[in-house]
Amino acid sequence: MPPEPDLTGAAPALHDAVGPLADGSMISVRNMSKLYGDFVALDRLNFDVQRGEKIVVLGPSGSGKSTLIRTFNRIEPHDSGSILIDGTVIDDKTNLTPLRCMVGMVFQNYNLFPHLSVVDNCTLAPQLVRSLSRKEAKDMALHFLQQVGIPEQANKYPIQLSGGQQQRVAIARALCMQPEVILFDEPTAALDPEAITGVVSIMNTLAEQGITTLCVTHEMAFSRHIADKIIFMDRGRILEITPPEEFFTTPQTERAQNFLNQMIRY
Amino acid sequence: MPLTPWLSGSSHPDLPLTAPLHASRAAIGTPYARNNFFRQRLSGIGFSRKAFPLRKPVHHIRTTFLLMAGLMMGGANVAHAQGHQEDIPSFVQNGTLTVCTNPTLPPMTFVKGSDASKPEGMDIDVARALAERWHATLSIIPMDFTGLFPSLGAQRCGMVISGIIQLPDREKNFDAVAYQDTALTVVARANTAPINSMADLSGKTIAVQSGTSYATRINRENEALTAAGKLPIIIQQYPTEDQVVQQVLIGRVFAFVSQDVELYFRQKQLHGKVRIILKPDYSDYRHFAIYLRKNAQDRTLVQNAISTLEQDGTLTAYRQKWSISSQTEQALTQDTGASAFNWGAFFSALTSMAFLRGAFITLAVALLSHAIAIVISIPMAITLNGRGNSLLKAVLKTYVSVFRGAPTLLQLLFIWNALPQFFPIFREQWFTPFLATLVALSINESAYQVEINRSALSAVDAGQELAADALGMSRRQVYRYVIFPQALRIALPPTINDFISLLKTTSLASVISLQELLAITQVQVARTFEFTEYYAAALVYYLAMVFFFLFLQKRVERRFSWADRKKASANAS
Repeated sequence: MPPEPDLTGAAPALHDAVGPLADGSMISVRNMSKLYGDFVALDRLNFDVQRGEKIVVLGPSGSGKSTLIRTFNRIEPHDSGSILIDGTVIDDKTNLTPLRCMVGMVFQNYNLFPHLSVVDNCTLAPQLVRSLSRKEAKDMALHFLQQVGIPEQANKYPIQLSGGQQQRVAIARALCMQPEVILFDEPTAALDPEAITGVVSIMNTLAEQGITTLCVTHEMAFSRHIADKIIFMDRGRILEITPPEEFFTTPQTERAQNFLNQMIRY
Repeated sequence: MPLTPWLSGSSHPDLPLTAPLHASRAAIGTPYARNNFFRQRLSGIGFSRKAFPLRKPVHHIRTTFLLMAGLMMGGANVAHAQGHQEDIPSFVQNGTLTVCTNPTLPPMTFVKGSDASKPEGMDIDVARALAERWHATLSIIPMDFTGLFPSLGAQRCGMVISGIIQLPDREKNFDAVAYQDTALTVVARANTAPINSMADLSGKTIAVQSGTSYATRINRENEALTAAGKLPIIIQQYPTEDQVVQQVLIGRVFAFVSQDVELYFRQKQLHGKVRIILKPDYSDYRHFAIYLRKNAQDRTLVQNAISTLEQDGTLTAYRQKWSISSQTEQALTQDTGASAFNWGAFFSALTSMAFLRGAFITLAVALLSHAIAIVISIPMAITLNGRGNSLLKAVLKTYVSVFRGAPTLLQLLFIWNALPQFFPIFREQWFTPFLATLVALSINESAYQVEINRSALSAVDAGQELAADALGMSRRQVYRYVIFPQALRIALPPTINDFISLLKTTSLASVISLQELLAITQVQVARTFEFTEYYAAALVYYLAMVFFFLFLQKRVERRFSWADRKKASANAS
């Protein structure tokens, strides 16, 4: 099948201009690709994320958004090109423990540990991975549970909480590792509108605190008002990297225009 | 009256010395003397037997004297003095005579007391006398009848003495030495009229012990019956002699086939319940024999030893001790009252050390083999659950299919009887029935446990591993703290289910002579014939054990309340 013209022609600079890795950035990606067998999930991506920047990754299903952010904590190892995180090259030889301490992640389905209480969900990894004492870990967990607004749920099991509450726990759990980068993988997709508001407001607070944030979301409030940049993806390629006002008012590619039309309609 | 000749005490007035069996034995020389002795005993000259116990010590003193003399006279003479009398057969190894027996045929070999590992009877006494003669320690291995010859072949024991008929068929593979006269009897319930020939059994059902030669013999009768246009005799086979007798007692079959010596002994248990309705005179069913692996020299040595024991009255003394005489046969048909459930026997069985020990062995085998199964199945399940295809995966899949596919009983028999033929190390003393059962059941159970573990692991949401990975946990930590606790909840109910099933499967190990609960029960039943009482006691033990584990399952499941919203709330409040 011949490549579609609007893709090959779109934003050539993003694909071809391969400069050196930007050592000063939080994240620097050069020519990075990811394959699933013959399927190209990520196709020669290039971009940089500065310290404290908030990036929203947009795009239709299957465009590679989740795969992209998962390459940063190497849950999905990339196949070629380079990724630099806080000056460290991410490849086979990278020590994953410090990387994952630095890059936290929140999932669409929360993925809380159902056999552990809320507070134990938050203290498990700090104790095991960061060698905190039980007391230190617990104090920190209670601090972050306070911050996400559910300190009273600390001793309950995840099954007893609502979806919104569970996602708050998941955010607190990620924060307990004191990461410098936090990856959100569609954090509000499984929530009802009321819960969405709560979770988005927590994300806003975090963003204000200056933590580097990469977020895959269709949540307009966050994308428009909080994000510094929008990365628009389709079929494993980055079609646009623009500030939100520009992206939402004057998208450069036809693919992005179509996508926005669909997004606004629903 | 047709019964009289059998009750007269001279069931074998003529020993067929010209029969091929005996002709072949005659070549060795000694049997003539022995046969003469049988004849003497049977024709009633045997009163002087009572003098034998007095002669026995004399014989011993003489042997000792000869030995001492030989020792004093030096090497060459020692060999001579020990000569043909004191030579020790090759199967006596390291000063131990190992004997396999199926202790369910009183009075030849059976468990008299409550210790199932210590059979008694004529056979055991003969074995002990032989061991003494060969200056060896006697080691008795009790086991299922069907296991006797395979065990002998696998060199698990040096000889088999278990009230087994001397038959040309068996002598194709093993050497046999006769030591006791016997006759085939057909026994029915007390009110049954005697019959005139085996042909009268046409169309009737009879019970025999499986693995014995009775079935083959009756099939030969059936060929004649079919040729004559009559219905054949229907044969039912049961693993133990006592079950055979039970079939007649409860009226399921018309008659059973057994040996007269056994009935003499059983008359106390069977008083008035059964009667002999026919004693067919089969020329090839006249002797109980000791079986050994083929070895002409060993056979001669055993033959000589038996002849000596016969001549010095030892065997005669044993026969008296175990009431192997035809006078007792009459007592069999005298009637006594019907029996009800014997509560005394039930409670004494329930509280007996034998049952407690049997239950303990059952429990120990089940717990240990399941523990081993779980330990080996976890890495297997993790491997099988992994992505992609590898040779290791293919091997594991084959392992699971084979051991889930093959019957557990077959696996037990294979490990016990077939393995020693490939690896002689498994016939050594350290490879006990307990160990063999442990190996067989661990392997068998692990095949099932792999499936439980594999499905439990794959039932844990993939997001759990992802989240744990993202939090920087190591592989080991992910499994230890995240995957296993959740998989455990899923795996536990089917695992306990499997355990309960395994607890009952251990009863199969009675075939390889493990003295677990059911084996103990059967041995006790064979001794007393109070089968209802002993079965009930065994049932109580099995149920008590199973209920305990069901209770445990409930308790353990309560610990997994995190999986249930209501229970979690109840616990939290």
